[in-house]
Amino acid sequence: MKKFKQYINSFLLVELLKGMSVTWGNMFRKKITVQYPEEKTPQSPRFRGLHALRTYPNGEERCIACKLCEAVCPAAAITIEAGPREDDGTRRTTKYEIDLFKCIFCGFCEESCPVDSIVETRVFDYHFEERGLHIMTKDMLLEMGHQHEDQIAADREVDAKYR
Amino acid sequence: MGKVHIEIDGQELEAEVGSMIIEVADKADIYIPRFCYHKKLSVAANCRMCMVEVGNLPKAVPACATPVAEGMVISTSSNKAVEAQKSVMEFLLINHPLDCPVCDQGGECELQDLSVGYGEDVSRFTEGKRVVQDKDIGPLIATDMTRCIHCTRCVRFGQEVVGIREMGATGRGEHMEIGTYIAHSIESEVSGNIIDLCPVGALTAKPSRFKARAWELRQSSSIAAHDCLGSNVFVHHRRGEIIRVVPKENELINEVWLSDRDRFSYQALSEGDRLLKPRIKKDGVWQETDWQTALNLVASEIKRIIGGSNGDDFGVLVGNNITTEESYLTQKLLRESGCNNIDFRIRRRDFSGDGRGSVRSGMNFAMESLDRMDATLLVGADLRHEQPLTALRVRKSTGYGNVMAINPFDGEYNFRLSQELQPKSNMLAQEFASVLIEADKLKPDVLNAEAKEWLAGIDSNEEHQQIAQNLIDGEASCILMGVYVQEHPQAEVVNWLAEALATVTNSDWGYMTQGCNAAGNKIAGAVPCQSAAGGKSDEGKNAKQMIQDGMKGYMLINCEPDVESVWAEQALENLKRADCVIALTPFADGRVSEYADVMLPIAGCYETSGTYINVEGKWQSFAAAVKAPGEARPGWKVLRVLANLLELNGFDYESSTQVIEELREKFEAVGDARIARKVPPPLMVVSEQETTRESLGLYMVDPMVRRAKALQQTPKASTHPISISRVKTR
Repeated sequence: MKKFKQYINSFLLVELLKGMSVTWGNMFRKKITVQYPEEKTPQSPRFRGLHALRTYPNGEERCIACKLCEAVCPAAAITIEAGPREDDGTRRTTKYEIDLFKCIFCGFCEESCPVDSIVETRVFDYHFEERGLHIMTKDMLLEMGHQHEDQIAADREVDAKYR
Repeated sequence: MGKVHIEIDGQELEAEVGSMIIEVADKADIYIPRFCYHKKLSVAANCRMCMVEVGNLPKAVPACATPVAEGMVISTSSNKAVEAQKSVMEFLLINHPLDCPVCDQGGECELQDLSVGYGEDVSRFTEGKRVVQDKDIGPLIATDMTRCIHCTRCVRFGQEVVGIREMGATGRGEHMEIGTYIAHSIESEVSGNIIDLCPVGALTAKPSRFKARAWELRQSSSIAAHDCLGSNVFVHHRRGEIIRVVPKENELINEVWLSDRDRFSYQALSEGDRLLKPRIKKDGVWQETDWQTALNLVASEIKRIIGGSNGDDFGVLVGNNITTEESYLTQKLLRESGCNNIDFRIRRRDFSGDGRGSVRSGMNFAMESLDRMDATLLVGADLRHEQPLTALRVRKSTGYGNVMAINPFDGEYNFRLSQELQPKSNMLAQEFASVLIEADKLKPDVLNAEAKEWLAGIDSNEEHQQIAQNLIDGEASCILMGVYVQEHPQAEVVNWLAEALATVTNSDWGYMTQGCNAAGNKIAGAVPCQSAAGGKSDEGKNAKQMIQDGMKGYMLINCEPDVESVWAEQALENLKRADCVIALTPFADGRVSEYADVMLPIAGCYETSGTYINVEGKWQSFAAAVKAPGEARPGWKVLRVLANLLELNGFDYESSTQVIEELREKFEAVGDARIARKVPPPLMVVSEQETTRESLGLYMVDPMVRRAKALQQTPKASTHPISISRVKTR
């Protein structure tokens, strides 16, 4: 009996029609494909993308070389060298590097930062054209900060009450 | 001392009468929080952090200032105790800034650690915090006086341990400030210790300021290389760079202290101008080359000069702080190639004692017994500047003992001298002999007739008698000769006198040697008169002859005769004139490039494994803390390969341990045998000419210290040679 039923079903292409109904159903549904890079998916204000070092509105860098981010980094991606700054003797980094090959974008550095200096921006699409460019130097990080400060500040503002 | 029985946190303990609760707890490994208490300093009880609950007492009491009593029941963590500790912490944090991330002490701060346990998470204090202006107290110590919690450890250290009150507290209560009274730099030669003592970030090390966090540093044990004590240190390094050097506790040597020289000299290694590749001078122009070429050249030059002159025209000068392994290999290499001209005593003038004396040079009693001497006689010893930590020990004995000095210079002392004789430098031996005469008068049956005859005709007076009397009266007494004596033209006479005086007065005697490894160098055989472990050697030229006669070829091992020698100008001239000068050096700067023909980069101390033998004869081995930069290699490896290139046998060492074991076996076979001298050469008034250039300054003693930037900026770096120029001349 079971064999007979199978025979009839395969003869009448029932399974094919079932499958096609899904196909046809989706064909008229609203499209969810995002036309990257013209279109982008929405991001959370807590998005953890490429890093940046922030500055205060007067241009003074925030980072005080406390090295907590370096200590907390589970991938040991951050390398800091510090010393007293030439002109005023304050504690500053002389080298701040993030190895993007090591970084796992966990956001611990941002959480550990007592002065909100190192942050993760919404930038996630980047590439390297040369060997060695995967290491973000202090200048590159500060530049990221300059470029995205408005967005960074707005995101921290939104998230402030949960922190 | 009687004993009492007490109970701390349920643990039954036996304690000595008069000891404080905190001492007993420390011994039993029960932790009581503290800021102002330090085991080496007096009790101040001004931080109040160590509050504990005692029996039925109504209030908590400070553990550092409460002596134990029979049947005391102490609780360090009862509600009452913890409440008291928390309240104290709240008070301390009223004025202490809460910006640990910018503080250099962050991560190793006692206040930070304790505030985790005893601090509240929210402050009840809304008023403004106190701000104190920073003081500039010199190039070694950075200040952040707002952070000061007035524990007064630094003040008590200066007052009690060093004996020079440089720091003090002015004002009271809210207005109390720690400072130097009058704005000036701290000049003490052991000032760096207040960095370790400061429980907060108020006093931190300037050379390593903001460079690293405690948690990044790796710690290696090592031995300090700038005086003959062999202080134990920890080298803190990160990614192959030495960040700082701190003391390692060793009650028998450096206690918990470290001299500034040992603490800050590392700067020469991490920031100095290092030699990174072998260099050869070709037609007057320096060229960098590889080890192979350089060593082949060196080997062929050594062969040529030693072969051509029957070993007479090649000389090796060994620096003061090279390891025993290095000097052993150097002398072995040299003697095997048929040359005996090797010497480390670059500042010695009197070599008449060669072939006599003990295998090892130094003192024959324990360093820590200096603390308890009833009588100490210093002869030509500028302890504060030669071995700063010894001065601290001698100072301890001044509490009940006499410290006397026969110093031919206007010395600076951090302890009270009960008697001071200041002979002219050429009269040092005569003055010392007068003391021996007086001692002989008091105890006539010790010296033999020959010695008595030798002494006849020397004047003496009551002062000399008093010194002799003190030495005889003292149950424990010692005669300590300083570096000055060894540089004196009559060093051997003074040596003999000291030994004779020690025998008559039943005292210990010894001399504090120059550099960190004089004992090791001598045992290793880096002298022309004896080979390793006192073995026989054919007569070779000593340092004076090598420098004054001029040789065809020189090999300098971490040694700069143009600065270190007593005949510096002559040394420079003869080095320049030599056919071939081979310099093994960690540094590229200095005048070495003017006179050398080959420069081989060797590792500095902390970069090589090795052994230093201190003035008491303690063998202290250490491993390399960091790797030498560039192509620099540990000296023993360079010497081993050089010996192989010279086709010498018995140089197949694979580690420095093998080298030192070979020497140790030889040394243990002979022990500390001595060949004493019955009577020294005749006593004479020496001319002044030779003694015009006196001891190297405090911060001039070896190539490394001379290149330590921060030390060179201290007031002592410029004033110390001046104090030496105050040496009296005829």
